[in-house]
Amino acid sequence: MTFVFWSVALLLVAGPIGALVSRRAAAEFAYRACVSAALVLGAVPAVRVLAGGSVASRTLATPMPGGPWVFGLDALSALFLLIALGVGTAAAWFGVAYLHRGVTARAARTSHFFLSTLLAAVAALVVARAAVPFLIAWELMALASYGAIVLDHGQAGVRRAGLLYLAATHTGTLLLFVLFAAWGAGAPDLTFAALGGRTLDPAARAIVLGAALIAFGFKAGVVPLHFWLPEAHSAAPSHISAVMSGVVIKMGIYGLLRVSLLMGALPAWWGWALLALGGVSGVLGVVWALAQHDLKRLLAFHSVENIGIILLGIGVGALGVAYGHPAVAALGFAGAALHTMNHALFKSLLFLGAGSVVHATGTRELERMGGLARRMPVTALTFLIGSAAIVGLPPLNGFVSEWLIARSMFGAGLSASPARVAVLGVGVLGLIGALALACFAKVFGAVFLGRPRDASVVVAGESAAGITRPMAVLAAACVAVGLLPGVVTPPVLRAGALVAGHANPVVPAAASDPAAMAATWFTLGLGGALLLLWGVVRSGWARTPWAAATTWGCGYGLPTARMQYTASSFAAPLLGAYRGMTGVRVVRTDASLATHVADPVLDAVVTPGWNRLQEAARRIRPLHRGRLSIYLMYVVAALLAMLTYLMLAGRGA
Amino acid sequence: MTGHTDWRALVAVAMVLLIAPAIPGIATKTKSVLTGRRGAPVLQGYRDLAKLVRKGRVYSDVSTWVFRAGPVVVVASLVLALLMLPLDGRSAPLHFAGDVVAFAGALALGRFALVLSGLDTGSSFEGMGASREVTIASFAEPVLFLCFAALVLATGHLSLNGAVGPAIGAAWPRDTASLVLVALALFVLLLAENARVPVDDPATHLELTMVHEVIVLDHSGPDLALVLYGSALKLTLFAALLVCVVVPRAALRAWTAPVAVAAGVAVVAVLVGVVESAMARLRLTRVPQLIVGAGALALFGIILLLR
Amino acid sequence: MQTTAELLLLLVVLTDLAVLGSSRLRTCIRAVAAQGLLLGLLPVALASRYTVHVVALSAGTVVVKAVVLPLFLLWAIREAAVRREVEPLVGYIASLLLGAAAVAAGFAIATRLPVPDVAEPVLVPVALATVMIGLIVLTTRRKALTQVVGYLMLENGIYLFGLTQTESVPFLLEVGVLLDIFAGVFIMGIVVFHINREFDSLDSSHLTELRD
Repeated sequence: MTFVFWSVALLLVAGPIGALVSRRAAAEFAYRACVSAALVLGAVPAVRVLAGGSVASRTLATPMPGGPWVFGLDALSALFLLIALGVGTAAAWFGVAYLHRGVTARAARTSHFFLSTLLAAVAALVVARAAVPFLIAWELMALASYGAIVLDHGQAGVRRAGLLYLAATHTGTLLLFVLFAAWGAGAPDLTFAALGGRTLDPAARAIVLGAALIAFGFKAGVVPLHFWLPEAHSAAPSHISAVMSGVVIKMGIYGLLRVSLLMGALPAWWGWALLALGGVSGVLGVVWALAQHDLKRLLAFHSVENIGIILLGIGVGALGVAYGHPAVAALGFAGAALHTMNHALFKSLLFLGAGSVVHATGTRELERMGGLARRMPVTALTFLIGSAAIVGLPPLNGFVSEWLIARSMFGAGLSASPARVAVLGVGVLGLIGALALACFAKVFGAVFLGRPRDASVVVAGESAAGITRPMAVLAAACVAVGLLPGVVTPPVLRAGALVAGHANPVVPAAASDPAAMAATWFTLGLGGALLLLWGVVRSGWARTPWAAATTWGCGYGLPTARMQYTASSFAAPLLGAYRGMTGVRVVRTDASLATHVADPVLDAVVTPGWNRLQEAARRIRPLHRGRLSIYLMYVVAALLAMLTYLMLAGRGA
Repeated sequence: MTGHTDWRALVAVAMVLLIAPAIPGIATKTKSVLTGRRGAPVLQGYRDLAKLVRKGRVYSDVSTWVFRAGPVVVVASLVLALLMLPLDGRSAPLHFAGDVVAFAGALALGRFALVLSGLDTGSSFEGMGASREVTIASFAEPVLFLCFAALVLATGHLSLNGAVGPAIGAAWPRDTASLVLVALALFVLLLAENARVPVDDPATHLELTMVHEVIVLDHSGPDLALVLYGSALKLTLFAALLVCVVVPRAALRAWTAPVAVAAGVAVVAVLVGVVESAMARLRLTRVPQLIVGAGALALFGIILLLR
Repeated sequence: MQTTAELLLLLVVLTDLAVLGSSRLRTCIRAVAAQGLLLGLLPVALASRYTVHVVALSAGTVVVKAVVLPLFLLWAIREAAVRREVEPLVGYIASLLLGAAAVAAGFAIATRLPVPDVAEPVLVPVALATVMIGLIVLTTRRKALTQVVGYLMLENGIYLFGLTQTESVPFLLEVGVLLDIFAGVFIMGIVVFHINREFDSLDSSHLTELRD
């Protein structure tokens, strides 16, 4: 645990150091060194725990509010700690190079401060084992990420997105208070051990689990609580979007898994609810993403989709617990945990790639891009790897986790309990995968392939090494996890078994190594076949002559960039087919085509609700007199009312 | 690749790889005969490939390495999927629990490569074809997953190695109705995924009506040969999957089982030809209806298995 | 899944789905005719002994449901010169998915229903599914003729329920049911004809013009 404490401490000082050191290069060096050292310090115990070892938990010696402050590191915490620090470090390195242009040194320093504070908060959050430090870290995370999002606070849109985020996250926090209050009522203190030791009656359990679903659902961006997510992700600088998507929203998933672990006996409705929410988030997220033509908003909607896939895994896991199938439960939770990690890797990679593209072109509009693969080869290759990974194509990491989740669904299907209906989830998984493929074919095609669509967008060339290197590292991680499922699967199964409530967290026999090893062979075989065929083609046919020409236009010899298929027209038939389900509109005129997506939750629920709240607030405005004595009178009146209530309640009892 | 792989399984795979170019030929020949024409010889596919391999290539000045890698990835992914089928009825060269997901994943990988190589040319024809391909696939892929779910439930095996291998024989008498429904759904998928009538007409060369043919308009020479071989192999792969479901081969001898598969694949090709000469191509907006109908069949099959 | 009766019942579900998925009016009517034929064969397949009762019921059902009513509907199409498309209010894909959900619901509910003495476990779920799909067709299709098709399917579902009790239900009652459908469809046919003459179309939404 000492290592983790030092890691958090280093992250906390990483930001302020920048303010103390005056030379920019030195300050940036110190910042990067601190974050990297924090990664190493955090990774050592995390890897040890994931490999099957254990780390003793620690309690702060001084008496603290809300009972003892306990910190511990189990397989679940270790996995999320690794995700947070790994993605965070890549984003921090990227951010230093990224903020060299376009913002002042002072603004860049502020951004670095918020990012490292955010990472410290996340690291503290995942090791917290008591309600009060958990809540403090949670709030620190929310505030630091708000500060990081609103870097461009000169723009009204960014301020609006930040405000929306703040409102959403605080609504979630409010429900966390409800959760801990309902759970901790009657417990000796608010440590997780004490909470987990309680057996709740079904009503109290329903309150706790319901509050957890909403509170963590807000953070994770589950439909219908996702409305803040696309706004905040597209308003933030790209490396902050990467951390938001890869780390911050994952804390919602961490919360759901932690609550599942502590609760132990999960009711079946919780599993079905998670499964349904996961399916809805997954399908709607990807269809809404298809309708976007702002690169970063599109990626943000894909976070909603992937959170849906993760929830499908957690849902099957919870059903496995509820109906007593430990192997299914462990596989489901493990699939969810691995997909969380994989999504952190490839989504942050994609956001960094988007940052590189936006940096180079100065626009986020897909319809104005095109042909960047020639100008920015490294960005193109890494973005392609990220795209293939997020679609779940073998042999990359996204496939491994979707394979685990599908296996848990098949396992549930073969059981004799009502959980077998969950096997229909594989159809949803297939639908999400195929739609994601369509969406990333659209993105990669529109951004990197073809010709530049807008002559006014001038691209100088590939981004600086400081920008491309973190992307290359993340891409390599995606490939490595994909090629070595036998290495990655046992640790996440350990985490999954832990959540599934095996007293001794061992890997269930049903999911032991052979399958994973065979999967390794499978992926290596694919890689080998690809290389082999590539080699054959290169050596055997390189001698045959080839000629360059314009693209075949069926007889028309002067194709222009304006004649290419646009991203919107690519997506139009799909959106047309799914319009009834998702409320996406395709607008055609004789000469143009556009797709529109209205956010039903934001437009139909949140905005009117907010307006009504303001209306109500205006009604009580007359209470404000602006005179101190009147306010004091209010305080006295409130106190008197409270005392009267207590007296009456006491007499009743 | 668990070490127990029978080398005869590999021979069966090699045989399917060899006969693949003839399979679309059989479908075309059937269609020609039924519509009163003589038609191209069944082995025309091999001649086309031989001709194309010797030809030179033309690359558009717009396209990049993505375009050149496309055909290779398409063929490699299909070979990989083929390696997961237990053609001899005993074991597949590659298998592990949950490899049904990998089968679908390999197909998706090939599709991704093909679609991107089409988009790489910057032509609106290819863009249109790519858009249609992913639209149709978005309906077909969930149906494929549902078919696999039904097979898994019927046999209790998470691997194609068992689910369409030795275990399918015992499942037929028990779950006849479900398996018939799955076979029907798989046949519709075969038509949809391989761009056959009623989803697409491989015989038309009117660019605006095509799906698969239009994506590869810009490919030439050996690249086109790979693409053509890939589409023949994909048809053969789906036919082989269908045959593996319909014909339990565990009781057959080690040598007769692959031959039975080959004969079955030819029969499926004849069926495709019959469908093509009996039906007209559907309007593009009607295609999802057809595939969702197949999905309803597979879903009904699963419901029967779950009750 | 071995008995002939089960096979027939599964085919009944397929005809249900065919009605939902087809866009041609004639195909819908043919599917309902096929369903009528299947229903006619069912009493024979379910019966342990071939009594006069069973054979008469079977023959009557085939004649009425598979021959007379479909021919009448096809005649109505020809005479009223109806357009051949179905024109649904809810899309085909959505109705197919609704239909699949109805089948699932049928199987889920059937196990919880206190149905006594079921000779054939698939019978009640299929009956429920057919009734529900009949309701879906009845409510989501615009044309009066398709609504007649939906009404027929609804009736078919009820007939399937009746089959659970073939041994105890008197013969006369069943004849009564058949006559009832016959009369019902006949009346609807006449109504359809008159809608057509008054409004020059068979779109039942025009009927809303009749309110005050």
